[in-house]
Amino acid sequence: MKKIIILFLIIAILVPSIAISGSYSMFEHRYEYKPNDVLNADNFKEKTKYLEGYKNGKLVGFVILSKDWASKHVGYSGKHMETLIGIDTSGKITGVKILFHSEPIMLIGLDEKRYNAFINQYIGRDVAKNLSIGKEITMDAITGATVTAVVQNAIISESSKRLAYVTGLIKTDKAANKRTIKDESIALTWDELKSIGAVKNIKVTNKELGLTDEGNFVDLNFGLLTPRGIGENIVGKEGYIEASPQKNDGYSAIFITSNGSGTFKGSGYVRGGIFDRISLEQNGVVFQFTDRDYKILSDIKAVGAGKIKEGGVFIIRSKDFDPTLPFKFKLTATYRQGSVKKFESFFADYMLPDKFLK
Amino acid sequence: MSENKTDRRNFLKILGIGGAAVAAGYVMPKDILTSKSKGIAEAGTSEGKQSHEVLPGQLDDYYGFWSGGQSGEVRVLGIPSMRQIKSIPVFNMDVASGWGITNESKALLKGRFCGDTHHVHGSYTDRTYDGKYLFVNDKLNNRVARIRIDYLETDKILDVPNIQGIHGLFTQRFPKTEWVVCNGEFQVPVPNRAAADQKDYYGIHTIIDAEKMEIVCQVMMDGNLDLAATDYNGKYSFATSYNTEKGVTISEMLAADYDALYVFNWDRIKKALNDKHYKVIEGIKVIDATKGKSGIVLEIPVAKNPHGVNVSPDGKYAICSGKVSPTCTVVEIARLDDAFNGKIKPKDCVVANPFIGLGPLHTTFDGRGNAITSVFIDSTNVKWNIAKAIEAEKLGEEAKKKNPHIVDVLDVNYQVGHIEATMAETKEADGRWLVSLNKFSKDRFLNVGPLKNECEQLVDLSGEKLRLVHDSATYIEPHDCIMVKKSIIEPKVKDRFNMFENPLAVTESGVVRKGKKVTVKLTANAPVFGLQKVDLKKGDEVTVIVTNNDEIADLAHGFALSNYNINFVVAPFQTKSVTFKADKPGVYWAYCTNFCHALHLEMRMRFIIT
Repeated sequence: MKKIIILFLIIAILVPSIAISGSYSMFEHRYEYKPNDVLNADNFKEKTKYLEGYKNGKLVGFVILSKDWASKHVGYSGKHMETLIGIDTSGKITGVKILFHSEPIMLIGLDEKRYNAFINQYIGRDVAKNLSIGKEITMDAITGATVTAVVQNAIISESSKRLAYVTGLIKTDKAANKRTIKDESIALTWDELKSIGAVKNIKVTNKELGLTDEGNFVDLNFGLLTPRGIGENIVGKEGYIEASPQKNDGYSAIFITSNGSGTFKGSGYVRGGIFDRISLEQNGVVFQFTDRDYKILSDIKAVGAGKIKEGGVFIIRSKDFDPTLPFKFKLTATYRQGSVKKFESFFADYMLPDKFLK
Repeated sequence: MSENKTDRRNFLKILGIGGAAVAAGYVMPKDILTSKSKGIAEAGTSEGKQSHEVLPGQLDDYYGFWSGGQSGEVRVLGIPSMRQIKSIPVFNMDVASGWGITNESKALLKGRFCGDTHHVHGSYTDRTYDGKYLFVNDKLNNRVARIRIDYLETDKILDVPNIQGIHGLFTQRFPKTEWVVCNGEFQVPVPNRAAADQKDYYGIHTIIDAEKMEIVCQVMMDGNLDLAATDYNGKYSFATSYNTEKGVTISEMLAADYDALYVFNWDRIKKALNDKHYKVIEGIKVIDATKGKSGIVLEIPVAKNPHGVNVSPDGKYAICSGKVSPTCTVVEIARLDDAFNGKIKPKDCVVANPFIGLGPLHTTFDGRGNAITSVFIDSTNVKWNIAKAIEAEKLGEEAKKKNPHIVDVLDVNYQVGHIEATMAETKEADGRWLVSLNKFSKDRFLNVGPLKNECEQLVDLSGEKLRLVHDSATYIEPHDCIMVKKSIIEPKVKDRFNMFENPLAVTESGVVRKGKKVTVKLTANAPVFGLQKVDLKKGDEVTVIVTNNDEIADLAHGFALSNYNINFVVAPFQTKSVTFKADKPGVYWAYCTNFCHALHLEMRMRFIIT
């Protein structure tokens, strides 16, 4: 954060207008900045990983650099899109500015103005509420760049939510005590897994999306695989060994399967390596999946599960994820109405049933 | 079938649909489909519901000719089954058939076994394939090869000087294929020398005599020349250029907002040759068309870094796919002469710039007024109506924004490169099947390790919607293909060679010694070679000539010589030879490697080297 201050001083002393210029190469765009770009304040005080902004001596908000808060989120280019974010004391976003990116679509396919139009949607939004693509945030400006948009969304929402927890803008729910998972085999049918909530479902018909096709767009099932009592039923004893925390540095895993005319995998992960249609969120932290976390799943072992059109096992490669706490599963349905690409988000809450916890 | 086609074409013409309806506009894709449905029914298929299943013992409807990319070969597939029926070694070594082992193939390959085949195109008569030859480029070692369709084997290989990165290749479509053109994607000094200054680098359009397999001439340009096409009247050839900047780094090549479609005027090229307006460089007549000064080449501005150029089957439009630009550029060929004569500006030949998607690469056609463009970044095939795109352009920006030209968008798995429809590069485009040649298979097949196959997908093109029907795993790495109806190819393809076309053909076995040079002539008749034993001396230079004297179709023999690293296959009535030094004394068994008979294992003979 020191860098901001120094830059700010230099810019302020030299040529203030330089702040709108930037350095370009064919593969990287970097822009200079000052904290005022995203928060209207006359004085900034440095704190750990953020700045407090004051106006006439009164605290009016905060400024953060995304790489201090959510640097694990990387775009199509494999690089983090460095973003400057301002948030006022009521938890509303006051400004967003891209400081660095190397996203190929923005460099050679789409106009960068569209990128700015996309991020300007965040201004005025409450960070405590959802900032979801396909709900609060639309992808109209950059419909082709779904990987970029989804990662940018994760960067802004996770950075600002984390700041909100630290500064007390959002109260953390500390009620839930840390628990541990039972390592025990329990034979359960598909219907039993669903009825106890070990497997959750999101169903969207084509009609709901305004499409003429009959049937479901997605009929998606997901659940944690980490408890042996679920995992062995879904992927079998051998599959469970591969997906178990013991085999994956202690990380948890989920499975996702789907039927219907749409796809939850899409094709963004093929070249970009990132699954742009699915994510998890827990305590403000967004968990996305890359092709390194993924193994194809083509059938479910549990009795009565039926056939699936597509499926995958995903390792949640983060120590921030606690499988014993509730989390949200998010699906960004991507579809076309005629030639127009559209997005809509769907959520499902998940909490591991007591049966699998000590 | 061809009669039905003609009927339909005339029928469409009467309705004013067959592409002539540009000015009239308002041709709904639905109308086109309705009028087409009759034709499809006659062809024995149902609209949008064709079966791609080819049952045991049944034959495919189309021959597919596939380039093999950096494998250096050409492949033959059956469509719609997508079964690979043959691989034809071209620029590569193939130890199964002996390509690169035999004297005949060595004479063509000249010791180079790496090749990079991108574009296979057939010879034409009157705007459709005549089933005589296939031509294919070698981007790596700058060669062009010809394949005889009667044997489906490589027949000639031509080295092309003054050029690097031979990429686009296309054959003359009318009145018949006398010329083949190919493009130099990498600009180099002409003649090549160690010049560091890129101002001295040029792109070269090469014209080859298809029968003689000799270079007619080359046209030298400032820009690079990427993909190629010819028109349907024998007047022009085309090249897209993505590096008009003469850049040598990616940033330099991406600098300009507009690059070009180059149009080469064949009458003017012939006149320049007659008037001797050329320099002879490396033995080749090179016409200087740099700095736009020759009048031979028209430079039509197209959006930044275009890729493919494809001509619609009615011969009316050359369509450039945008690559970096999310659009296609539609050039009306009827306007080119006016532009060449200075009556209109080159940019006035552009009649539409429809939005397609992110990363359009190549365009193919269904013969019903629709184009289908491959879109790399979006990973889609986009079907769009050409007449509607032109109409929307006239109505202005607001009309264009609604994308009225787009008929359907199909997600493909994953990241498509080339795209090709059956007969799409001929006047007989029939809109039955589409192949999406995808560059990534990722998770579509059982995992075979870090290096994976490509995934080529078969799409039913007969309905309004594109319908994905089949995933096909393909070894690295085809670029492009053509699909030709079997009625054109099948009558031309033979079951046995004309034995005496080869002057070395053996009908009587024997050994002829001239000093240290020994010629061993062998007949191969299942299950025996014509000799049981050959006596040689250490140091002999031995040539073995083998003719397969078996007439039965598909009864091929192999000739392999133990510990001498020799193997090749001779098809019925085929003759091949190999020369080696007998440098290892001992008894060496030669044997048949291609299963031929119940006593195949006994089909062997001794070479005794003393």
